[in-house]
Amino acid sequence: MKRTLISAIALSAATAASAQTADLPQAGSEWFTAGQEAIQAILDRQDNTNTAKNVIVLVADGNGVGTNYATRVFAGQQEGKLGEEHVLPYETPDYHAALVKTYNINAQTPDSAPTAGAMNTGVKQRFNLINLGGDAIHDDCSTVAGNELTTFAEIVSGMEKSVGIVSTARVTHATPAAVYSKTANRNWEDSVPEGCDTQKDIAAQLIDQMEAGVIDFAMGGGRRHFVPEGTQTDEGGSGRRADGVNLIENATGLGAQYAWNTETFNALTLDGETPILALFNDSHMEYEADRADDDEPSLAEMTKAAIEYLSQNENGYYLEIEAGRVDHANHAGNAHRTLVDGVAFAEAVAMADELTNDEDTLIIVTADHEHSIAFNGYCGRGTPILGLCYDVAQQGDKHSDELVLADDGKPYTVIGYLNGSGSVLVEGENGYEGSRPDVTQDEATDLDYVQQALIPKSSESHSGEDVAVYAKGPWAHLFDGTLEQNVIFHVMHHAVTAE
Amino acid sequence: MQTRRHFLTSALAAPLLARPALAQDAPLKVRELYERRGNDLSELAVAREGERITVEGFMAPPLKAESKFFVLTKMPMAVCPFCETEAEWPNDILAVYTKRIVNVIPFNKKITVSGVLELGGYRDPETGFLSMVRLSDANYG
Repeated sequence: MKRTLISAIALSAATAASAQTADLPQAGSEWFTAGQEAIQAILDRQDNTNTAKNVIVLVADGNGVGTNYATRVFAGQQEGKLGEEHVLPYETPDYHAALVKTYNINAQTPDSAPTAGAMNTGVKQRFNLINLGGDAIHDDCSTVAGNELTTFAEIVSGMEKSVGIVSTARVTHATPAAVYSKTANRNWEDSVPEGCDTQKDIAAQLIDQMEAGVIDFAMGGGRRHFVPEGTQTDEGGSGRRADGVNLIENATGLGAQYAWNTETFNALTLDGETPILALFNDSHMEYEADRADDDEPSLAEMTKAAIEYLSQNENGYYLEIEAGRVDHANHAGNAHRTLVDGVAFAEAVAMADELTNDEDTLIIVTADHEHSIAFNGYCGRGTPILGLCYDVAQQGDKHSDELVLADDGKPYTVIGYLNGSGSVLVEGENGYEGSRPDVTQDEATDLDYVQQALIPKSSESHSGEDVAVYAKGPWAHLFDGTLEQNVIFHVMHHAVTAE
Repeated sequence: MQTRRHFLTSALAAPLLARPALAQDAPLKVRELYERRGNDLSELAVAREGERITVEGFMAPPLKAESKFFVLTKMPMAVCPFCETEAEWPNDILAVYTKRIVNVIPFNKKITVSGVLELGGYRDPETGFLSMVRLSDANYG
């Protein structure tokens, strides 16, 4: 009775509020009506409590809230907009969202191994380890036995689902490796220390999981870790495996199809009958800005192939897709390649959404951690996100033509990094010293430009800042508020087991 | 998107290519010497073989002290402990053989190098470094 009364009061209050807003002087503004439409879209949401047949997790490595902001503006400006108002495919009202705390058990600043591990096992992990419990120690092989965690891939393959991984990094790199491997060191990609008999190297674990029927589809870079030392790889490089084992031959011996370039990618049979191993580069795949279509497929194309393949299983699938090189370009302090790869990630999300049904597929879009990227001000609307900061105009919305100058009399880019190879301090006879170099708009927007940074480091670092998670489909509404990263696993698990 | 291919097309269309390198020409970028895909050299590089050209970039920390050899990179040479298990050279670099012993410049300070463009495989006898494209008789600043 009381509940009914409260509802009635709330309803009448809402009606009254609506009547009042029509009289407001700002009621005719586009901003005002857009605001009303936005809350209506949220009011129209219906919680989806179906059982998820499929789960797709898309991770842009190193794409924290700041990097994602830059990608949004860049994507908008590529389409001729001012940029700030742009909406990325996963920023629409049909996606629920939350903030995610990314720290590791023993690290305020996380690395990609335990963060991906947290998403794949439901527990936080230790720095530089993958899918081992909190008692395991980095680089200590003797602590592996007894600390192995069960992965989401293993759980859902026990439910007769298929499992796939796609990455533009090496498939043995931290984020994809967290789907299938358990290791005391994320760098043991093709070998383990002498005498270590408690785990295999990461590449060998992938093929073992393929043989065990857990992994069905693996696509990315990292070919050299599957080929023996002294053996030439498909593109003329050399293998790295000291044990002399050719894991590609082992995989094809199991009946797997193998692809290594666009031509062989296009020739794959996606009927779900045989496992697929595709290794498009000896190390990481190319940055999107450097990729040639006739050499390697795009992330969206790989996403399409993976979904077509995995959809053949009527019991459903789990697919992890990583835009691995957003992170690498950030490490280089090279915002241009970061954002081009960020746009390629957004296109992969749109592709995954287009090819699936919200009724039975939970799509999760997130990042593993942020970087030391930061943004200067005060720049006018539409300032090129990769370029120099233009002043705010007094009239209209677009920026003025005046560059904002710092107290040293020089202009500066919108994006900067707190540390990295772009440091304005250079090593001299008296230690590190220096002043900001002059920079022109042409230089700043060049593909190879490295943004100015403060602290000198050969490689720019991650940061512990939050990332976002966006989701749609069954139980996506569980993503709300500020969550620990390992909660992502629990939403996935709840979604696939809900009755 | 400013792609290398797009840039090369623009560069080839420009009259720059038709005449010898002049001092006032804007320095080339390292990426202009390579095709976008793989390790192939660009048409621009092939056309300028044997000429003295000027290229801007960054001096990677020298492999050997008191040397007349260094590697020019398109960006400050960053080695990422979370990307790589060991230092890896990017595929688009330029080997530089200098007139004088190299005076080391910090890896993150942009420099301009002038030298005679040489193409073809050459293994440095001192460091074992294999280069496919080089500047010889070079100076820089």
